[in-house]
Amino acid sequence: MIYVNNLKKEFKKTIKDPGLKGSVKSFFKPKTEIITAVDNISFHVPRGEILGFIGPNGAGKSTVIKMLTGILTPTSGSCEINGKIPYKNRKSYVKEIGVVFGQRTQLWWDLALRETYTVLKEIYEVDDAAYKKRMAFLNEVLELDEFITSPVRTLSLGQRMRADIAASLLHSPKVLFLDEPTIGLDVVVKDNIRKAVKAINENEQTTVILTTHDLQDVENLCDRIVMIDKGSKLFDGNISELKRRFGQSRELRFVPYDFAAVEALDYKTEFGLGEDDLELENDGHKVTVRFNSDTIPVENILNYTLSKTHVKDINVTDADIEEIIKGIYRSEVKLDA
Amino acid sequence: MKILKKLRRVFRLHRIFIKQDLKRLMEYKIDFVTGAVALLIAQGINVFFLSIIFSQIPNLDGWAFEQIIFIYGFALLPKAIDHLFTDNLWAIGHFIIRKGDFDKYLTRPINTLFAVTVEKFQVDAFGELIVGILLLSVSVPSVNLSINPLNILLFVIALVFATLIYTGIKLITSSVAFWTKRSGNITYMFYMVNEFSKYPTTIYNRAVRAVVSYIIPFAFTAFFPASYFIAGGNPWFNIGGTVIAGSVLMALGILVWHKGVSAYESAGS
Amino acid sequence: MRKILKIYKPFTHAGVLLAAQYRINFIFFILGDILMCFINYFLWKAVFNSGGAETFMGFSEVDMVSYIFISFLTSTLAYSDGSYAVGEEIRDGSIAMRMIKPIRFDLAFLFQELGERTMSLTLAFVPLVAGVELFKFFATGSFRFSIINFVLYLVSLILAYLINFYFNVCYGYSAFVLKNLWGSNFLKDCIVGFLAGRTIPLAFMPPAVGAVLNFLPFASLTYTPVMIYIGMYSPAQIALSFALQIFWLVFFIALQQIIWNACVKRLSVQGG
Repeated sequence: MIYVNNLKKEFKKTIKDPGLKGSVKSFFKPKTEIITAVDNISFHVPRGEILGFIGPNGAGKSTVIKMLTGILTPTSGSCEINGKIPYKNRKSYVKEIGVVFGQRTQLWWDLALRETYTVLKEIYEVDDAAYKKRMAFLNEVLELDEFITSPVRTLSLGQRMRADIAASLLHSPKVLFLDEPTIGLDVVVKDNIRKAVKAINENEQTTVILTTHDLQDVENLCDRIVMIDKGSKLFDGNISELKRRFGQSRELRFVPYDFAAVEALDYKTEFGLGEDDLELENDGHKVTVRFNSDTIPVENILNYTLSKTHVKDINVTDADIEEIIKGIYRSEVKLDA
Repeated sequence: MKILKKLRRVFRLHRIFIKQDLKRLMEYKIDFVTGAVALLIAQGINVFFLSIIFSQIPNLDGWAFEQIIFIYGFALLPKAIDHLFTDNLWAIGHFIIRKGDFDKYLTRPINTLFAVTVEKFQVDAFGELIVGILLLSVSVPSVNLSINPLNILLFVIALVFATLIYTGIKLITSSVAFWTKRSGNITYMFYMVNEFSKYPTTIYNRAVRAVVSYIIPFAFTAFFPASYFIAGGNPWFNIGGTVIAGSVLMALGILVWHKGVSAYESAGS
Repeated sequence: MRKILKIYKPFTHAGVLLAAQYRINFIFFILGDILMCFINYFLWKAVFNSGGAETFMGFSEVDMVSYIFISFLTSTLAYSDGSYAVGEEIRDGSIAMRMIKPIRFDLAFLFQELGERTMSLTLAFVPLVAGVELFKFFATGSFRFSIINFVLYLVSLILAYLINFYFNVCYGYSAFVLKNLWGSNFLKDCIVGFLAGRTIPLAFMPPAVGAVLNFLPFASLTYTPVMIYIGMYSPAQIALSFALQIFWLVFFIALQQIIWNACVKRLSVQGG
């Protein structure tokens, strides 16, 4: 369905010295530097899958999406979707995809929402019968009825996002690209949007590629995730795999009777660890120890802790996905790529 | 057949977009009316200015008042038509590219240039159009102009290609923004040169005349074709020049536009 | 006074920074506008060539050329964004925020705009004045720069700016009714420009019309300072026009205050 091979995008950036002199100078003799926003990324998405595309700000997510949607031309490498090359067969290609940029809108700002759909119907050449049926379906999933006659500028952010998603789905695309579809929304609205995306994916086998910073989106929606940072791919697989691979990181939490006694705990010497293998935090209310269950078995660390201190309460937990990803972003988790 | 079908689709889309834009205008009725009235008044003031000048002198560099009015009126028509249909190009150079809003045109299955221009139907242009037609019709009886089929045909041709000169220049300068992010000010500077076309180029010195005739050829949008109708001249130069300038600039504009679209870098996420 | 300067200095500073940021834009726009001056220059040259007379309704060719460029300079320097700025605040509702700040909002605008003006002052003032004086020198063969007229011009220019500023702020309030979008501002600029003598000197109008226009506030915006600069006014006329400028300035400041007070009342009753 979607094949991405060694996709690369470089931008030329003009460096400007400050001040008027700098502007004039850069006008005549621009100094440029090349920034690699996306560096040799490859992946494959089968039909009907929901792929989560995650990574910190500036990782290159949007650049990849923009190349996949035909907005940007790659510097090198290739991508092929439905047998089409986005930046080459742009016009025929975009008929088969739907795109939503959460931070932008493609709705006609000053007009009643319905008007946008009438225009899009023409642009995408949707015939009357199909349009009617489609609107009924979208209305059922996204509940547009309550605001379809209001001017777009008066819609709330959540309504606008639902309207934008509907707009991108009007022509029944085979692939739907959602760039931060839940940005700035409250929990209830986020949940509605997730349900709608899920429903559309299940009903029509629509392939969905979604970027997000909200890991709830990922947990609830995505069959698979691709994680990138600084333009390169860090991880590609499903969530249980992510947990299996990076999830050995555990947290031991306990509340000692005597906080001073914690000083006596020396995990690093006891287990022969390096500087980064363990992290201890004592905030005066509880003690948190982050460790990797591969290097120290849970049993051993519990025994050692209990032998040195008296505790009121103690437990060991899996780090949740948010913690794992935070760890990867901070490169605390060693990546065997 | 395929081309015919395609053309039908283009016209259908155009009609729908215009309808939508008129609906948008109805949301701002007062603004639209005052804008058109203002353009009417602005042109009226200029005509008043000319009438004051001619109250003191018999002719301007050999041109009578009615002839100047004819040229002036002619100058307004291609400008107004271009204004009416392609005003959104200004926005390209001012903010559409800089803010990354160009993305949305690229995700639509229609030609980008068509998608951009069709989105705005600048009704204010009717102010200029009305004044232009008014000035032509009041001056026609007093200028030596023969109305015959050939002249009517040449008039229409001149009008179409003069409009393309405007659109072409706007297209080229706006497309610069694909590389520089913003170019509205460059468009403005070039566009202001069109004001030179309202008067006979004979009043300017040689350098200015050369620039407005051959480099930024706005003289072909008004003075050259208009003077052919009222003072005669070589149609191959006066009208033919308009056709050539219009075709070349428009072709160049489309070329630069397409080069620009592939160089488009969007805006940081 | 010193306290006022201290409070509003940051606004001026912000204005300077803003102007610096848009300087390239500004240069292009000014170049475009100067083209218009040159069109008028050529047009008037042709008029003098065709007319055969030394003067046109009392203006010599040198007077006319000076008029074209100095009126452009004057309207650029006395330009005010006030109506757009106020209109914008009214439309997006941020005008209500002005009420809770311990500063006068007209002064905040004014000081910011003075900062922005530094750009047109540095980029347009010297070249245009020098250009006009050089032209006069080459056209007449003698140096005819009058220091007294120049100083009087500067005073009149400052008054012109202040009148224009307060007039524009007053006009900006019409956004409550008109929404003040592009159209109504454009309409205002057209009419004001004409009445201020930017297209043609008011002296060219039919005498009765000209007499009335001379007393309207708009003449004070461009026509008065320019006539002083090119030395077309007698000392008596200069005294009269200063009196008029001061009258209109006081008038618009008072009007602005009245509208603002009404505004505050309305906002605090209706809640914005």
